[in-house]
Amino acid sequence: MTGPPIIISGVGIVSALGTGPAETRKALQTGWVATRPLSLFPTPDDRPLPVGEIRNLPMPGVFPRTHVITRMAARQALEGVGPAPDAVVLGTTTGGMSTTERLIRQGVGDPQAYRFHSPASVSQNIAQMCGCRGPVLTVSTACSSGAVAIKIALELIRNGKARRVLVGGTDGLSRLTYYGFSSLQLIDPKGARPLDLDRRGMTVAEGAAMLLIEAGDPRKTGIEILGAGLSCDAFHPTSPHPDGAGALAAMSSALDDAGLTDQDIDYINLHGTGTADNDLSEARAVRSLFRLARPPLSSVKGAMGHSLAAAGAIEAVISQGCVAGQWVPGNSGLKTADPALKLKPLARAQNAPVRTVLSNSFGFGGNNASVVIGRSTSNHRPAAAGRRPLTVLGSACITGAGHADQTYNRFAAGKSCQGMLPAAEIARYLPPKQVRRLRRLPRLALALAQQAHLDSGRKGMPQSIFLGTGWGALSETHRFLTGLFDSGEKFPSPTDFIGSVHNAPAGQIAMMTGATGANVTTTGGNCSFEQALMVAGLLAGGETKNALVLGVDETHEHFSRLLDPSCTAAQAPSDGGGALVVGPGLEGHGVCIDLAFYSGVIRCKGLITELVNALGRPQRINTRFGFVLAGIPAGDRPQGAGQLHRFRELSGFNGPVIDYRKLTGEFASASAVAAVAAVRFTAAGHIPGALCGGEDRRLKGKGGLVLGLGSCPTAMEVARR
Amino acid sequence: MSETNPGTWLIEELRLKIVDLLDLIDIRPEEIDPDGPLLGGDLEIDSIDVLEMVMMIEKDYGVRIDNREIGEKVFVNLRALAAYIAENSRESCG
Repeated sequence: MTGPPIIISGVGIVSALGTGPAETRKALQTGWVATRPLSLFPTPDDRPLPVGEIRNLPMPGVFPRTHVITRMAARQALEGVGPAPDAVVLGTTTGGMSTTERLIRQGVGDPQAYRFHSPASVSQNIAQMCGCRGPVLTVSTACSSGAVAIKIALELIRNGKARRVLVGGTDGLSRLTYYGFSSLQLIDPKGARPLDLDRRGMTVAEGAAMLLIEAGDPRKTGIEILGAGLSCDAFHPTSPHPDGAGALAAMSSALDDAGLTDQDIDYINLHGTGTADNDLSEARAVRSLFRLARPPLSSVKGAMGHSLAAAGAIEAVISQGCVAGQWVPGNSGLKTADPALKLKPLARAQNAPVRTVLSNSFGFGGNNASVVIGRSTSNHRPAAAGRRPLTVLGSACITGAGHADQTYNRFAAGKSCQGMLPAAEIARYLPPKQVRRLRRLPRLALALAQQAHLDSGRKGMPQSIFLGTGWGALSETHRFLTGLFDSGEKFPSPTDFIGSVHNAPAGQIAMMTGATGANVTTTGGNCSFEQALMVAGLLAGGETKNALVLGVDETHEHFSRLLDPSCTAAQAPSDGGGALVVGPGLEGHGVCIDLAFYSGVIRCKGLITELVNALGRPQRINTRFGFVLAGIPAGDRPQGAGQLHRFRELSGFNGPVIDYRKLTGEFASASAVAAVAAVRFTAAGHIPGALCGGEDRRLKGKGGLVLGLGSCPTAMEVARR
Repeated sequence: MSETNPGTWLIEELRLKIVDLLDLIDIRPEEIDPDGPLLGGDLEIDSIDVLEMVMMIEKDYGVRIDNREIGEKVFVNLRALAAYIAENSRESCG
């Protein structure tokens, strides 16, 4: 089966090099190096390091820096290209961090001031700006985020979930990234010199790039996203695999996806950060893949710095420009190529015939993504990769009530699972040496992964990880920022910085389990687990490869009440999550799970009608489902209760409805616990009497629904095969 | 050796700090051999721990270890680390 061509029909780019594709191209063609000493905020030693900063950025209104540059890039990409996109996929790690830092330092305690903190607030902002009705997805996989977002957008179109997707990556400069990378001694004080013999590290930068991609007409030609591939090193939290094994896997997968071989590639846009380890490992991977002849290759990060989550999207836009304009950029900052790399990077930009480009982006957590952009050389265009729904092979949940069965048994008995397990108890069954540096969120994630795998009874570990988290690693982030400010911005903690990235827990799971497949972390408040499930449905594939899908959140004594309105309204602080081991497709017997409805758009009217229609209207709802687990976040109680009433009205559903947050407590990924409960009820064939007012109620072959209500309605279907 | 030897005091102090800073599991301060390898041995101290120690050493002793070459010499073992701190700290200069 062949899918449609995925055409790039609009691009936007903002970086230290300039605004818009034309300015960017001109800067790169003249070999201009835009990195300069930081001016955005004062540094204690008065010797600011070079950064790729967007100078004189107009900051109108209330939006943080990341939001502002993303809006600029999105406007460029959408200019004159017709109706609103029907999906937004955005990769970002910092979100509103530059604003949050200021608020934390000033001790501001008003939650309203933190409303633009989350990475998801950027994607929401863009969706609202361009009138997108969803789905809206936020990807946070550190420095590969932008490229991972492109892979997800590609699969959304291939799977028929969307026709026009606005996709990109963005990160504004912040103290977190400036001091964080500095604490890792990864910064070249002279500015990044990728692939150079004397390279000393990277240059932190900011930027945003957006691409409008759409299912095109196969009879017309255009520049396409031809394919993309993901992998995970499963090796180290920050250092790449020395042999470049993960980078090689991502590049090979991208070529396979595009139906091309290495000899079809006309230019390689390297990740090329300028750190000793990255450049060496990437060079090894490139040499392994391109054995016969290597096309021209270079890194643009010497010119503009490393814009982190934006880099993959920025370099996709540059790659599109190379194909459009038949040129390739030079490797700015290069004087003498490091002979150990055994590569010959282009010193200067030059005109060249370019039909296809391979662009690499690698990140913390060993998270790798490669994208192939160009004009199609054949009619090979793969159809959808993922196979939905997913078959559940194992499950586990953790709450304040305890580990897997303790939580499930209490939930099934209709008793409160609210509260927080002590950190030592969370790690009770985990290897002590692996968790010694880990705080709450990664411990919860590892425990869930371990217990869901055990429950599956499978010998082989899941090979792909899809993790949703509403708010990320709050303990590490808060410790990093308070430690930084307490020390007069002199002593940032490297451990806390590494742990603060949203995808650190999924990276830890990969290291524990050896999962070298796709490793994606999604984030977006109360529907983060649903996003992870959607991405798993798009990407989990292969004949025998199982995946782990989990939702997990920690509650932090200071941070949570500032960020999550439901935590502010909660009776008792609670946290935890749920995990499912899933297999692709409909093989075997058992229970399946599918995300039947997800919009991701906040406060859009008529969503419950859409939700009921998506589930197949009253007839299918009442024939297929014997119970509803309804998630009404405390922060959205009146709205959510109204939506539940409307759901009952429209669907005519009169079976048991369980208001599950009263049992789990309030945390963003409580729906993952509910999903585990729904799977187990469906497998058992009955709803425990304690949850439906009396006797156990037999399901007679029916499954159940897990509804997410409030500002972002969702529906997950759980059914027997 | 004697109480006047700053190296011994410093080694004792560093042992305590390292165990606490790095949350070393099942290791008592006195078990860190001053002449044993700091990295890659039984202590399972890795490159991220080294960076954390770099921050602590600058903060507590005013000694910067800001490149890989110096780091590789200094973090060979606890005695080398203590000697480097003693030689370069502001207090010893004063």
